[in-house]
Parts: sequence; structure tokens; C-alpha cells
Amino acid sequence: MDASARLRTERERIVADPRLRGVAFGAALADACDAVIVEAAQALSLKGKWAVVAQGSYARRELCPGSDLDVVLVHSGGARGAAGDVAARTLWYPFWDAGFTLGHATRTPKETLALADEDLDAMTAVLELRVLAGDADFALDLRDRGRALAAKRRSRVIDALASAANARYDRPGPVAEVVEPNVKDGAGGLRDLHALTWAGWAVSPLGGLAGLIAVGVVAPHDVADLEAANTRLLDVRVALHRVTGGRSDQLTLQEQDAVARLLDIPDADTLLRELADASRQVGWISREVWSRLESGKKGPSGRVAHRDRPLDQGVVLREGRVTLLTDEPVTVTSTLRVAAAAAEQHAAIDRVTLARLGDVDGAVPWAPEDRTAFFRLLRAGRPLVAVFEALDHVGALVRLLPEWAHVRARPQRNAYHRFTVDRHLLEAVVECDVLLAEEGVAGDVARRARTELLLFGVLTHDIAKGAPGDHSEVGAVRAAAFATRIGLEEHAAVVISWLVRDHLLMADTATRRDLADAETILRFGRAVHDTERLDLLYALTVADSRATGPVAWSSGKAALCRQLFVETDALLEDGVVDPRLAKEREAVLKRHRALLESGELAVEWTERDDGLRECTVVARDRRGLLASVAGVLTLVGFDIQGASAYGDPDTGMALEVYRGIDRFGRLDEAGRRDFVTMLRSALDGALPLRTRLSERIARYRGATPPADRSVDVRVDVDASASATVIEVHAPDDVGLLASVAAVFADLGIDVSVALVSTTGTRAVDVFYIRDAQGAKPTDPLLLQRIRATLITRLITEYVLPAPR
Amino acid sequence: MKLIVGIIKPFKLDDVKDALKDLGVHGITVSDVQGFGRQRGHTEVYRGAEYTIDFVPKVRIEILVDDSDTERVAQTLIETARTGKIGDGKVWVVPVESVYRIRTGEAGPDAI
Repeated sequence: MDASARLRTERERIVADPRLRGVAFGAALADACDAVIVEAAQALSLKGKWAVVAQGSYARRELCPGSDLDVVLVHSGGARGAAGDVAARTLWYPFWDAGFTLGHATRTPKETLALADEDLDAMTAVLELRVLAGDADFALDLRDRGRALAAKRRSRVIDALASAANARYDRPGPVAEVVEPNVKDGAGGLRDLHALTWAGWAVSPLGGLAGLIAVGVVAPHDVADLEAANTRLLDVRVALHRVTGGRSDQLTLQEQDAVARLLDIPDADTLLRELADASRQVGWISREVWSRLESGKKGPSGRVAHRDRPLDQGVVLREGRVTLLTDEPVTVTSTLRVAAAAAEQHAAIDRVTLARLGDVDGAVPWAPEDRTAFFRLLRAGRPLVAVFEALDHVGALVRLLPEWAHVRARPQRNAYHRFTVDRHLLEAVVECDVLLAEEGVAGDVARRARTELLLFGVLTHDIAKGAPGDHSEVGAVRAAAFATRIGLEEHAAVVISWLVRDHLLMADTATRRDLADAETILRFGRAVHDTERLDLLYALTVADSRATGPVAWSSGKAALCRQLFVETDALLEDGVVDPRLAKEREAVLKRHRALLESGELAVEWTERDDGLRECTVVARDRRGLLASVAGVLTLVGFDIQGASAYGDPDTGMALEVYRGIDRFGRLDEAGRRDFVTMLRSALDGALPLRTRLSERIARYRGATPPADRSVDVRVDVDASASATVIEVHAPDDVGLLASVAAVFADLGIDVSVALVSTTGTRAVDVFYIRDAQGAKPTDPLLLQRIRATLITRLITEYVLPAPR
Repeated sequence: MKLIVGIIKPFKLDDVKDALKDLGVHGITVSDVQGFGRQRGHTEVYRGAEYTIDFVPKVRIEILVDDSDTERVAQTLIETARTGKIGDGKVWVVPVESVYRIRTGEAGPDAI
């Protein structure tokens, strides 16, 4: 068997052997490759010194099934020209033929070092090269010169490594906190571990983690954590490559179950949590290292202040780090003070302080100043994420906020989301901070809301995500208990509970209900109850959606939510459904002042922007006017979509505005004249309106009657301050409004607003009613009578008209 | 083969999706879009301040169908998305030259 066939067989065997995970897999595959190189190198005959060296993951013996193989032939000049071509054929061809992706080069030490001086990747490759064949001393000398170069270029190397590590936080994002983590290039992933090792060579001749320990930026006990994390990350990467058969390092939702199975982990959620635990350690230690190396790099003269700057009681800024003075005890109060100060100063917490905070006893009632510090932390914006991470690293976070334990590193198996639940909650709080400083409606609303309630509601809106049962329902209970535990008053706990339970209500209503239908606004308004809650819900919806990702907050959804907010706000402020109604009310009366003062019956028709036609009727105010006008409009084929009635106390006249569609196109000039004639005779009693109406109703009963012919009447005394709201649910046919209005007229009830909406074959008409004295009817007996009469009359006269 | 494109009111999406599923349509593509037709934009008044909305949010839905299914699918889409009010949207049908399923390489009606 030739070398390439052997290599192929060996690789297939190793990939197929499920016992070879992570580290063991990498070593096995590296051994197989080493053997082929060693054998091929025996056939090389080159002048001068030479060696074959491995770089990258091959050098570390951490190959994964899809890893590139980086191999370099280092020589002192003897491999130039034809000799080099022969060498290359001997060394590289077996790997090409076996299907490896080979990164190969033939270089002299001088060329290698020149390249390393220009390019960070080339530099880091030399730092940890591994000799495979040839003159070992020759290769190791190159490696040592590379390490010396890294030390010489210390500042540049550290800068480049640190900024690359920072960039990994944004893209592809932290392994522990995104839904589809990249185990190699994500923050807290394998690349972070490599970068730490490389940095070690830049800061100390001991190199690697030992070098970082030597200069005091890594604690000796961190090493075990980092090694354990490396093992875990490699396990996952090897399994992922096995599952995908490819080279992607992103653990996508569709692969998570299969990867968990290969690793004997019960399910994908457990896999992601384990991965997150490992990766959080890496991410946190590596952040610490870069921040310490960068501040240390400046040297003593670069430090801003030698003296402590007091930030809060017992809390100072010392050498750029927030420090709790040693004589200050660790309590909930001091922990929150340190956290708030660190977030506000955008500074890291001193490491000794942080270790102390790990022992905080969270099981004590919060004092008012604790809440103040807590809300200062939440109000600090983006820096709060790092503070939460730091507190989490030492276990202080769940001691302080045991409610957080449930969401900690909890994955969301939903392509809509980018982050784990805990990070999503923090992102949403950060978005609140952005919103509070923003111009426009959403910013105005967020500023008007009580900041504490907004921040706390946003922080806890998904607090029960992943718990059995409806996460909103369970979350409402937990969030309220949480609010009470930290000492928020009862009203706050009630509002928070509602906000968490209904945190999806606005987004759902805006995107799934017809906002042009007044009934949608009315129902939503009733569910929300008051403007305090509406403001909170709108601001939460914006912050939550933005934090979820661009898919969750399209400009379309933003526009729909804002429309829903604006209309509901007007409803709650003015106590009427149509936001324009209250403002229009005066305008309408003023516009028609002349008509009203004439004391005569008058009718005006106008075309509206929304495609509807508007009919304005001025008549002497009397009971049953609405029933008469609506009845005659029905007779002339005007399909009423909405109606508003205005009484004018100055003149004793009434003004009614009807919006609707000219169904049969009969309302030309002659048709309008006929309408006025008919209306006059209806008001005089000359026109038998009831009879004509029931004839028409009978005639227009559809040939195929709707399946649901039931009638339902709902009474709501809470929807409006000035009127009782009656909803009539009935089949959508000719004459519904007129029929209902006739019943109200007979019962001596005034209708101030009528709204008509249809959903397919059903209609929902909403009436704002007052009694004869203009007061809001609330007597249960009267309301029952209204309801019973409506149902009876509608069934006998409207739904089941007498056959003719 | 045809591509049916519909611009509909966002809240109608769930109904349309269910109706198409009942019809045996296997896949649809949905995107959030904005625009205006005869409905035009409108002005919102919020506590005294005016906010002009130039474009109305809509959902764009795309369905690949075999020729024989075109009429049925288009009609269902139209009937389900209709509210009878202004701004209900539009549906249009365009011919499709070829269709491939990326994973398997299947082509033509098999790939729908």
C-alpha cells in the first residue's frame, strides 16, 4: 500500500472510532501523519541543513477531522529550484492524494523570520512549531529565534492578539452566550486559548501559560480550568466535524443533537450548558489577561493615578480597577456598590476584590441603598455585561440573584435568537439604556415610564424561559417574587408581574391583528388597562425585540408596534376608541356650526382618504335618531363601517357622522336627494322604517348563510370612563347597526359612538352607550335587560327574519 | 412552473400560511417589506406631534408552483388575504424558467 492509501485508511479508521474524542483524536491523527512524513523524509536528499516542521493545530497535536495540515520544509538554501520541487513532490503528494487540505511552504529561517515580523499568523506559527523530521537543532534554533522576536515585539504582538480577541466578542460572539456558537473562533473558544499561549512567549522566556503566570496575569489555579476547557472544546469540535463531515466550526442548531449523542451527553441543552461553562472560564480569564497586559504595557509612567480615587463608601478606583477596601466587609450592599461603580466607571473589578465577592451572603433583605446601587448598575448600559460576567465567574451573581440561576447559560433552541437567555436579558437591559437616550416616540415613552420598573421588567421578562409551563405565566410569578424580595413596593410587584406575563402581547397583537379594526385597539387597550402599563410594555417590546436581533425588529414590525401604541395611548388617555375622535369632536362641531345653528335637517357627503365615504347628518336631537338615520342609510344601500354621534348643547341639535361604502353605487346626486326625502319622512313617522328594514334584511339574507348564525352580546363597564361599552357579535349582514340602534332607541339608551368591524362572515359592532341623563349605565339589572333584549330582538328580527 | 408573489397585510400571514398548508403547498418564502399603493402612507398624531409614515408595512410572500397548481394557489392566497378594505395588497404570477433543489440537485417540478 502506498503512503497516500495508508494515510487515507488510517484517517478513516480514526474518524470512525468513537472512542477517540477531542485530545485523543488529535493525537492519533497527528501520529498517523507524522509516520508518513518521517518515512517520506528518509528519501529526501538536500544540500545543507533542513528540517520538516509542523505548525498550528498539527504542531499542537490537536487536529480535528476537518483541520488543515500545516507543514513547512525549512532549509538553509538547499531546497531551492529543482531540488525543492522533488522534495515537495515527495513530502506533499501523499497528503494531497489522501484528500487533506495542506498548508505547505518551503522557506529558509531568514525568510520565515522576515515573514513572522510582518504577519501575526506567521509569527504565532513559528512560536510553537514541532519538528517532524530532519535536523532538529536547526528547526529548534528557528523556533527560539521566533520566540525572541515575539519578546522583542512584545507591545505589537500583545496589541494585535488583544484586538483580535476583542473582535471575537462581536463576531462570531461569545461561545457561552450565542445560540449557535463557533467553538474555534468565538470568544471563549479555542482561539482564545491559543492566543493566551502565544502571549506568554511575548512576555516571558518561560512562554505559554507559564509565562503569563510568571508576570502575574494568570493565577496558577487558572491553568487547570483552562486545560479542562481546552479538552471540552476539542471534544465538541471533533464531534462537530464528525457530524458535518466538514470544516465548519459553528455548532448550528441542526447539528446540536447529533453532537450531543456522539459525546454521550443527554441532550443539546446540556451540551450547550457544559460548553458554556467551559468557555466562560476561558473568556473571562482571557479578558483579564488582555486588560492587565495592556495596562501593564504602559509601564509606571503610563498610569493615570497612583492614589486611590473614592467612588462609594469603601469602594475606590485603584490603578484603574474598582477595589473594595480590605477593612470593608463583603455584604449585599458592598457587592452592589462595587458592581455599580465598575459598570459606571467602565472599569474592571480588582481580582482580589472579586475573589472576596464570591463569598457574599445574598440571603438578606435589601436596604433602599442596595436597590439604588442595583438600578445604577442596570442603568449603566453596555459595561454592565462585563460586570455580570465577572460576578458570575466567582459565583457572586447567583448568590446575589438566585433567580438568575435558572437562565444562566440557558440555550434557546430558536433560530430567531442569537444569544442565550441570560445574555439576551442583559442585551435587552442595554437596549433600554440606548432607548432612554433616543429621540422619537419610543425614547419619549421610555423616559416617561418609571425607570426602575422598566429596567426590572426588561431584566426579568424571560426569567422563566425553559421552565415547565408557559414561560410568561411562570415568569410573572417569579419576577413578582423577585421584585418583592429586593424590596420593591406592592404596586411595583403587581405591574412587574403583569408586564412579564404579557410581555409578548404587543408584538403579537401588532403583527397578527388588524390594526385598522377598532376592535383590535379596544381589546388590546382593555388588556393593558392604563397608560403606565402601556408605556412600560411599549418600551419593553422595543428593547426586547432589538436585543433579539435584526430579524425580530424589522422596520415593518417597528411601524406596526408604534401604530398600536399611539392608537391605544389615545384610547386610554381620552377614553374613546378612535384617537382622532376627541380632537375631532370639537373640530367637527365647529366645522358644522352653520348647519347646527340653522336648526334644520341637513346632510353632507364627503370622500375620505381611506376610500370610505362619509355622511354627516344634522338634525334636531331626539331619541332614536341613530336608529332612524342608520335605518334609512341601510335602505339606500350604504354599508355602514362606523358612526359617531355628537350632541350640541348650545343649539339642541345632534350631529351624526357615518363612514361606509356605497355598496351599489346608487348614491349619486339623485340618490342623495332621495335619501334626504326618505330620512325626512322616517323622522316624521310617515315612512314605515321598521317594516321596510325587515323586508330588506329578509331579501339580503345571503344565498349561502354563514355557518355561525349565533348572536352574542358582551357588556364592559371598565373600558371607558364616560360610557358603558356593548359589543354585539353577530353574522355580518345588511342592517345590523340599524337593528341594534332600534333596540337601544326603544330602551331609551343613547349611543355616543358606534364602531363596526367584520371578520370574515362575522361582525363585531361596538357601542358606547349612555342613559337618558347622559350618565354611564352601570346598574347590573339594567345591563342584563339591555343584553337580553338585544339578543332576543336580534335573533327574531335580524338573524331569523319572518319569511315573506 | 410559476412563481406566485403576494404582497399582503402582515396580520393575514398566519391565515395565508395555514390555507396554503391545507392546499399541500410545501414551502413559502416570507419577507417583511414596505411600500405604498393606493393606500399611501399616513400621518400619525401622538400627543400633539405628527409622525409621517411614508410606507406601509406589508409582508411579501413567494411560492413556487407547478403550472397546474397556479390558479388554485393564487386564488386561495387572494381569498385568504382579503379583508375588503383598502391596502389588502396584490398578487402576481411570473413564469419560472428552471428550479433546482440545492441539496440533491433535483431539477424542474421535482425540485418544487
